[in-house]
Amino acid sequence: MNLTLNVNGRAVDVDAEPHDMLVDVLRDQVGLTGPRVTCGVGLCGTCTVLLDGEPVSGCILMAPLAQGKEITTIEGLPEDDEVVASFDRNHAFQCGYCIPGMVLTARDMIDKGHACSREEIREGLGGNLCRCGCYLKIIEAVEEAAQ
Amino acid sequence: MTWHLPTSVDDVVRTRAERPEAPIVAGGTFLGILVRQGLVEADEWISLQRVTELTRMHSAGDLSVGAMVTHRRLELDDTVRTIWPGVAAAFKAVASPRVRNRATMGGVLADADYASDPPSMLVASNAVAEIASVRGTRRVPVEDLIIGHYSTSMEEDELITRVVVPRPTGAAVYRKLRTRSQEDRPASSVAAVVHGETVRVVVGAVSDRPYHFADVCSQWRPGDLDSAREIGEEYASRIDYIDDNRGSAAYRRHVVGVEVRRALMAVAR
Repeated sequence: MNLTLNVNGRAVDVDAEPHDMLVDVLRDQVGLTGPRVTCGVGLCGTCTVLLDGEPVSGCILMAPLAQGKEITTIEGLPEDDEVVASFDRNHAFQCGYCIPGMVLTARDMIDKGHACSREEIREGLGGNLCRCGCYLKIIEAVEEAAQ
Repeated sequence: MTWHLPTSVDDVVRTRAERPEAPIVAGGTFLGILVRQGLVEADEWISLQRVTELTRMHSAGDLSVGAMVTHRRLELDDTVRTIWPGVAAAFKAVASPRVRNRATMGGVLADADYASDPPSMLVASNAVAEIASVRGTRRVPVEDLIIGHYSTSMEEDELITRVVVPRPTGAAVYRKLRTRSQEDRPASSVAAVVHGETVRVVVGAVSDRPYHFADVCSQWRPGDLDSAREIGEEYASRIDYIDDNRGSAAYRRHVVGVEVRRALMAVAR
């Protein structure tokens, strides 16, 4: 199946069947490696992309469901994005593997006004796992970016 | 492979009647997992992504929720949170915002997955599903819709189009017991909704489908701890429990008694 996807502001033609998940199409055909495949069941958050501005799990999203939507990966955020800068200032990572998902989830929370308290930030990031255990720094970074 | 993109309910039910083997894709969060794991394969698919009439929600009288309304929308809608706080809480309890941004009202009921949060609250709230096919439309209480593990009372050519939740007349409480992590599915899912002088308690996620025992609920004395405890014990003893990664059958039997008691005390406040 030929699909046209809108990725980070440009139209991209891909060849994807319904059993191909969006994250694999983005990585293997579009060359964007920010979204990562880890758990494969939508639990861990490393495959997070924004679909019309809302975070979704790319590892369980059948590629045709992304047609007609604006897809944003970590590569699509502006270089001076405040959330990225805040993660940098707060050293909110060790290996960095989960960070694209953390940043995109935080971006949505801040844009929608759902990062008003530490409790709200913790809850909003509840589905993004960091196996290095950098949660405290990550929460501080989101809190600072939200101000 | 063919990805059908009908734009109206009539189109969907006609397409499905001609291709009963083609899975219907709503939000795709559950099907996505099954497809990725190779448990579902198909040559033809019917996607609801362009059926805008299924995304409608009205709350002027009863709450009418189109099948494609997402969990996230129910969780965040001001009117739903104010008038149907139990419904908002049950949908908010599902997984993570990523899943709730995609998962739909129609999908969670059609999947009939025992380990979902919303079904117990929808049954406790006396919600009714509207179901369409080329043969017409019918209404089925959610209580009679989910009949077992991944099983519904729907025929294979039928589609859930919307769910109607009556305006509540009393308090509603949703209690989700998580045994592993924040985004996990429930080990037990207890909903209690007060209707006039009576209460509907429904227990989900511990067996093949949500369970409601009207005769037990009729014994309720609001605010009475002994009454809440007795009802909890009766619910605990009547259900045939499953063992899974979230808890053993014996553990579930114990916690259902506790969770029902706490839900009953909470709705009586």
